[in-house]
Amino acid sequence: MVIDGWFITALIVCLLSTGACVVAAVLKKKPNDITLLSMAAIELFLLVFLVASIVRSAGGEPIAGEPWEFWGYLATAMAIPIAGFYWAILERTFWSNYVLAAVGATVLVMMARMAQIWYGTATLHGTASAALGAS
Amino acid sequence: MMNTAHTSTDGRSSGPGRLLIAVYAVFALAASARAGFQIATNFNEAPLAYSLSAFAAVVYIVATVALARKGAFWFKVAIAAICVELVGVLVVGSLSLFDAAAFPHATVWSLYGRGYGFVPLLLPILGLWWLYRHRTAAAAGRAAADAAKSA
Repeated sequence: MVIDGWFITALIVCLLSTGACVVAAVLKKKPNDITLLSMAAIELFLLVFLVASIVRSAGGEPIAGEPWEFWGYLATAMAIPIAGFYWAILERTFWSNYVLAAVGATVLVMMARMAQIWYGTATLHGTASAALGAS
Repeated sequence: MMNTAHTSTDGRSSGPGRLLIAVYAVFALAASARAGFQIATNFNEAPLAYSLSAFAAVVYIVATVALARKGAFWFKVAIAAICVELVGVLVVGSLSLFDAAAFPHATVWSLYGRGYGFVPLLLPILGLWWLYRHRTAAAAGRAAADAAKSA
């Protein structure tokens, strides 16, 4: 897969969020401003990515894979921080911070898959896509 | 309902259970999306593998819902779904390893879920362990049901 600025940004945002949430969970802290706002940070990133992707797509940049698979992944990814936030505030125990930690990891895997769809992979059903998730 | 007595001990969907349910929900979503995409685009290419993907998606959805619900009935549904899941990942994982020709197209459970960081192999084990830890809640529900029947 091609690693572009979007993926590197996602890597930083998601790892920071997951890292903060794991630390908070290990310290047995309830979901707090830092861990809950990190959901907002991921969502904000995805929103910017969505707008940028629409602009790039409208500007004539081709998507190597199935376009609707890309948009489907992006729409699903955008729902995950919201679902995680909702699930975490329903029961504010330190366990919910592990749930929030899973959000960053999941979004990151989905971003990797989106990069594969956008730029294409050498073999769609090969080891590269198998190593990173669905093909 | 009979579950008033043990509602407070029925903690399947609380604490670590919330994380388990969240991970199951992610897999239900991932497996459904994958199966939907495979079936919509090239079902004729590998009907067996793609039907299996759809089956896996259904198992994950049932397991997610059953884990999140309270009571003895959903406890049994969760046990059944997670056992099917464990058998599925072991059988499909082994078949894809030893008879690769029969499984040229990947499913969630291929190679014991390697494509998903082996989480599909780990998840049913954690799920069954979690349900085992909370078996008393279901047993209390069963005892209450038996008592209601005999009364």
